[in-house]
Amino acid sequence: MADTLFYILAAGTLACGMGVVTARMPLFSVLSLLGSLFCLSAIYLLSGFQFLAATQLLVYAGAIMVLFLFVIMLLNLGDEAELQGHLGFSLSGKKGLIAGATALSLGLVGVVGAGYSTPFVANPAYERGVDDLNALATVLFSRYALPFEAASLLLLATMIGVITLAKRQRTTDAGAHPQSAPPSTDGETAA
Amino acid sequence: MGSFNWLWLLPFLPLAGSVCAATMHFGTLRARKEGNTGTRLSSIAGLIACGVMAAALALSLYAFIQLAGNREVTALESSSWAWIDAGSFSVELSMVVDRLSSVMLLVITGVGFLIHIYSIGYMKGDPGYAKFFAYLNLFVFAMLMLVLSSSLLGMFVGWEGVGLCSYLLIGFWHEKGWPAEAGQKAFVFNRVGDACFLLGSFLLIAIFDTLDLSDIANSVQANIGANSRLMALAALLLFGGACGKSAQFPLFTWLPDAMAGPTPVSALIHAATMVTAGVYLLLRLNPLYAAAPTVLFIIGCVGALTALIGASTALMQRDIKKVLAYSTVSQLGYMFLGIATGAWSAALFHLVTHAFFKGLLFLGSGSVIHGMRDEQDMYKMGGLRRHMPRTYITFLAGAAALSGIPLTSGFFSKDEILAHTFLHGGLYWPLWIVGIFSAILTAFYTWRMVALTFFGDERFDANKIRPHESPATMTLPLSILAVLALAGGLLNLPALHIPGEQALRDWISPVTAAGDAILYAGAQAHHPSLWLELVLLALGSAIALVFAHKGFHGFKNGWQHDDAMRSKRPELVGFLEHAWMVDSTYAAKIVAPLRLASYVIATLVDQMLIDGMVNGAGRLAMKSGSKLRSVVDGSVMSYALWMGAGASILTVVWTCF
Amino acid sequence: MMNVPTEHILTLSALLFATGVLGFLIRRNVIIVLASIELMLNAANLTFLAASRHWSQTHLAADGVNIMQGPIFSLFVILVAAAEAAVGLALVIAFYRLKQTVALDALTELKD
Repeated sequence: MADTLFYILAAGTLACGMGVVTARMPLFSVLSLLGSLFCLSAIYLLSGFQFLAATQLLVYAGAIMVLFLFVIMLLNLGDEAELQGHLGFSLSGKKGLIAGATALSLGLVGVVGAGYSTPFVANPAYERGVDDLNALATVLFSRYALPFEAASLLLLATMIGVITLAKRQRTTDAGAHPQSAPPSTDGETAA
Repeated sequence: MGSFNWLWLLPFLPLAGSVCAATMHFGTLRARKEGNTGTRLSSIAGLIACGVMAAALALSLYAFIQLAGNREVTALESSSWAWIDAGSFSVELSMVVDRLSSVMLLVITGVGFLIHIYSIGYMKGDPGYAKFFAYLNLFVFAMLMLVLSSSLLGMFVGWEGVGLCSYLLIGFWHEKGWPAEAGQKAFVFNRVGDACFLLGSFLLIAIFDTLDLSDIANSVQANIGANSRLMALAALLLFGGACGKSAQFPLFTWLPDAMAGPTPVSALIHAATMVTAGVYLLLRLNPLYAAAPTVLFIIGCVGALTALIGASTALMQRDIKKVLAYSTVSQLGYMFLGIATGAWSAALFHLVTHAFFKGLLFLGSGSVIHGMRDEQDMYKMGGLRRHMPRTYITFLAGAAALSGIPLTSGFFSKDEILAHTFLHGGLYWPLWIVGIFSAILTAFYTWRMVALTFFGDERFDANKIRPHESPATMTLPLSILAVLALAGGLLNLPALHIPGEQALRDWISPVTAAGDAILYAGAQAHHPSLWLELVLLALGSAIALVFAHKGFHGFKNGWQHDDAMRSKRPELVGFLEHAWMVDSTYAAKIVAPLRLASYVIATLVDQMLIDGMVNGAGRLAMKSGSKLRSVVDGSVMSYALWMGAGASILTVVWTCF
Repeated sequence: MMNVPTEHILTLSALLFATGVLGFLIRRNVIIVLASIELMLNAANLTFLAASRHWSQTHLAADGVNIMQGPIFSLFVILVAAAEAAVGLALVIAFYRLKQTVALDALTELKD
């Protein structure tokens, strides 16, 4: 039963993945990415990774997807007429061929490298999930405490970077239209 | 094990303090640019730095109490991080406080705290006030990493960190020029030692397959015989590292030059803590050294020679800080002599008392320099006892301890080292004589310094310089250190067949047990008989008193005695003044040939061979670039395409072969 | 738990990765390119978890291989993916403000 479910979900994942690549509008592309990630999270659950499945849903569906959709709406990218000129599989014949060959060869290497096919014998010790939360937390906060702390730094840097990107944009706008800029007190417009 | 995670606070509190102070420094710079003084921000930085040190001191005391309260527990250990994890070899990093490092902790945070308070007064008004405290706190962080790390690799991080801070602080007034050069010199000399340290660590990995300090110490015994030679080589290399950091012959000449830094730096880094890191390293690995008697003897020779060179050079110095610097070199030599005789606790004892009295002397000299408007030449001082009574009295206490006046801390610690050297006998006899001779010189130069500075006529222009007592932030640490310098001997009174008297020795016995077991191999450690001990103590007292008296009376009316020596034995005086010509030997024998070699390499190899290759490569790139230009059309998409295609080709190639 | 052989999960992962690469290479719209990158990252995650699951088998678990490495790595990958998406989308916004489009071939600044 669970095995059949896996193959159905795998097919769903791949179909949604193709949807990401082939969708005409970015909105549909992102929505099918959501579907693909949802199927993946179900596969995690089936493989015995309950915590990872939950994280996948929370972080991807809850945060990243919302971010994508927000940007699409902010930039009003749903408007097909505006996007008419830029869409489609835009590479010309030869380059498109190279791209296809690249993807195909990578996929083939993976599939051939995977080899066939030894049976899987589940370990009853992991009946409650391979990523049992107690064990995971113990490892994460002792052995991997250093990368964990580094990750917090990475997130901080990301936050600062995103803020800077947004802020710098505003000052260039002000520079582009000096007459519309508010009377500024900082040194940047004065210089 | 593993539950003492608050130990991480010990090094990281000073690090946080350093970051705060650095922020304040940048804030001050900004305020100055806008026309404000920014003094308030700076003074906050000083307060933060002192507060952080107080917290670190409190934590150290807490750790000490935990250890002392339960004698069953020999070490507190935090949980460990995997730092390097490569196959069978892995390095874990955790903070460990055992008996030995708890003593070091108390010295570093205790003396460090006092020196931080002193710096508030000493550095007042300096434009780099906040920067100074940032560096000072960073130094404490590195020093605590050095002492607390459970592995040699963590120790090396601290080892390099203190070297960096030493460089930064020596060159603190780099606008003057020569401090920057002194900093570079210290850095280069330390680098020679660090190379030895690294090689020694690699060798230890080869022998023990680990860098964990306690694992190494525990598995030395099992490796004796099979790996004796390799272990001796590793011990020698690590001692080379210690030579660089602790200013031993032949790598000692950076330390006197390091006096270019602010005086609190000289007190904290170049007297009390950093330069003793080498002693700490050897103590930590005591079984390794116990298993290599030849290396121990080499250490003894180096230590005794350094003690002699330092003490004899200090005789003829005019600069008060130079006297103290050479004196530090010489006292560090004593510590290594102590280690060489297997008297681990005696070396640690001298390390602790030296931190007290030499820290005191440096701070006292700083107070004098502060009061004399940056005058360091003792020939231009004199009669200061009337102007700076508190500095004078505390300086006397430090001088008494340094020269080994009976019942002061230095008296007990130095005598214990000399007693062990004497007991060791055999080849160590000449070393003992050198040690005694250096003790004579020590008493002499110490009291010469006191007499020239505080007694006699006022040899400065009283109209221009008005010596004044320093503020309370400076005299208070002096008083506390003076008490410690006088009473520090209580830590480890000589045995004298009174049970329970050698407190420090008993305290660190769990750490030194492995070394002692190898050193004495079942036999009883030799203890001096009561009368022998009394005779040695009496000899030490007599030497200290007689030569302190001589040094004092020769110079209490000025420096005529020096002039007399100069006219009588000019070569000898010149030889001593320039620290046995070690620096000029380096200049002639090492620096000059290196210059020549580098000139040859620069013209022949670099300009012709390498530049030819580089230019050829450039030409090749230009030619091929003009051909391949069409591929790079500036579109991000085609870049992505080529990247992807390249990656897939590599993947296919790797999979197929 | 399912009893699918590990190789099948790895195959799924390889195909998903190839899909992602294809989207990354042939699409012009920056947002879709970013979505394709997410696909590739997820394919990598799936591989980690498949390996972790593989080593948790009864006859392999005794080998002392750290089974927790898979979930931990996946966790970090998700974290990095989140950071990457945030920065990438901020760049998209900046890009749109500059060029009034999200088409990648409008980016030819590297030419000069």
